Amino acid sequence: MAGQAEVILGTLVQGTLMGLVYASIALGFNLVYRVSKSINFAHPAVILLVGYVALVVSASYGLLQGLLASLLVAAASGFILERTLARPLIGKPPAALIGATLGAYYFIKGVTYIIGRFQAASLPMQVSYYDLGPISVSSNDLVSLGITGLILSSVVALHKWTRIGSAIRAVAEDAEGAAGYGLPVGRLITLSWVMAGLTGAFGGLAIAVKAQVSPAIEFYAIKALAASILAGLDSIGGIVVGGLALGLVEQLSSILLETYLPGIGGHVAFFFLLLILLVKPYGIFGTERIERI
Amino acid sequence: MPAGVFKETYAAELGILRYPIHWAGLILGAGIALALPFIVGEYYLMLAVSFMIFLIGAVGLNITLGLAGLISLAHAALMGMGAYVTAFLAQHGVNVLIAVPIAGLTAAALAFILALPSFKLKGYYLAMASLAAQFILEYIFALIDPDQYEPVPDEAKYLGGLYIGRGVPLYYITLAITIIALLAATNIARSTIGRGMKAVRDNDIAAEVIGVNVYHVKALAFTIGGFYAGVAGAIYAIYSTGIGWEGFTLEGSIEYLGMVLIGGPGRVVWGSFLGVLVVRTGWTLLESLLATAMVSYIAAALKYIILGGLIAAFMILEPEGLIAVLRRIKEYLRLWPYSY
Repeated sequence: MAGQAEVILGTLVQGTLMGLVYASIALGFNLVYRVSKSINFAHPAVILLVGYVALVVSASYGLLQGLLASLLVAAASGFILERTLARPLIGKPPAALIGATLGAYYFIKGVTYIIGRFQAASLPMQVSYYDLGPISVSSNDLVSLGITGLILSSVVALHKWTRIGSAIRAVAEDAEGAAGYGLPVGRLITLSWVMAGLTGAFGGLAIAVKAQVSPAIEFYAIKALAASILAGLDSIGGIVVGGLALGLVEQLSSILLETYLPGIGGHVAFFFLLLILLVKPYGIFGTERIERI
Repeated sequence: MPAGVFKETYAAELGILRYPIHWAGLILGAGIALALPFIVGEYYLMLAVSFMIFLIGAVGLNITLGLAGLISLAHAALMGMGAYVTAFLAQHGVNVLIAVPIAGLTAAALAFILALPSFKLKGYYLAMASLAAQFILEYIFALIDPDQYEPVPDEAKYLGGLYIGRGVPLYYITLAITIIALLAATNIARSTIGRGMKAVRDNDIAAEVIGVNVYHVKALAFTIGGFYAGVAGAIYAIYSTGIGWEGFTLEGSIEYLGMVLIGGPGRVVWGSFLGVLVVRTGWTLLESLLATAMVSYIAAALKYIILGGLIAAFMILEPEGLIAVLRRIKEYLRLWPYSY
């Protein structure tokens, strides 16, 4: 049964790669949640926008310019979302920010529609395949592994070991206390949103490299919510575990259950999300919220 | 002879029609609603039917979201459930008018299942649970209906020999169901249940302390909202020749959310009315204008941009919705020219 072993090994490799992509997208949700205590439902649309900006700009100016432009757009959209939506709604009930970010989701999606017309296309990249013993990986897989690994490790390192990182952690813990110690809370929150946009952009680019640019990119971003929740919305390092679990569950269920339930691979993330929410809503590494009247 | 309006009984004070202007509005509104088929043509009549369908759905979401504060992103899927149940029953020879309450009850039962996460979760977590439910339901719809077309046969659309799938009969039947639904919603909002929902929305722990059964209220809010969505879906199925699940996706749910948030969350009837008028009917009319004036993909993209921008703007500038804007205009006119 050598064939089956190879299939399983290939699935594990693909699951790990997708898991890292999910982790870097989900990191965008977590960075925002930590400082603003809100989920940024506009994040999937930002990722869609990033993919299409990369596609359109690289079609006329070259790949590198396309990638730079898309990162710039991601950072700018994080900045604008924080300034226009999150800041005026500080202290409002969650429904307000959910509504506002869903509105922004729709808005950005419309802008993306005008830019890219929602056609599916690949980024202009050369693809070559390498045989690594029993499995083969493409150069796109390696690029996506490089992007996601780099962004995840650098954000985690930034949060753990730098002065800015500890300042952001202080704001996430207690914004008023941090302000009392003289930290520029507003600017740190904005920085977190910009970082969230950038990590999401890297995740989106990794998908664009692995698959292609299409409206389905935002679907990956919505599924990444499951990784966020599994890790706990306010954890940073745990997101890798959440992403890998999601990627592996998705790949394994698509080879094991596909014959009984066609298309389950694309949707198992939502069953997974619902299950986590019902069993352990604050995730593995998240802190439980204690409510007072 | 007293000047102004005086109430002599509590019943008069609590009534829906309290002032002469309410009676005038009722007579005018009822007159227009009843006479509409004789004034406008088929196109605008069907626009009115679609308006009422989405009004029923939006009233349901306004009970779940506006009154009880439970964020549901699965409302379009619940409506789809009602539509699919109606299509299924109609294919098996059941009259569509009998299918309407059955569709409502099925969607209500489904909504009760969706309410289970709300016992444990709130805020963002609940929104995500309903988001997951929306996608799971979409997946199930795609499994049972892979080619996106379930016909609603014409044979089931008869009421004693009268065909009700189109035109004036469909309008009057939809109008009757809408009026019943709106009256029921008004009274739900004014009753113990509605006040319990508002208490849970404002602070669920405090509500529990003062003796509101929080679980009961949350389950009821979802179930009633689901019932309305199911009824809306059933009428949608009567109105269409066939249904596909592309009408009941996440975008449909976000549009419902937009109707409630733009119109006025918590103002069950009039808030929903304004929201549907702006988001659904206003957009349909604008779209027909845009389609002639612009490239079609820009017109389609503008829908996202305008609706998204409106939702975000209302959340930041006027969280009470369009109805609060109207109230402010009314106060200004009432006090005019001494508006201080």
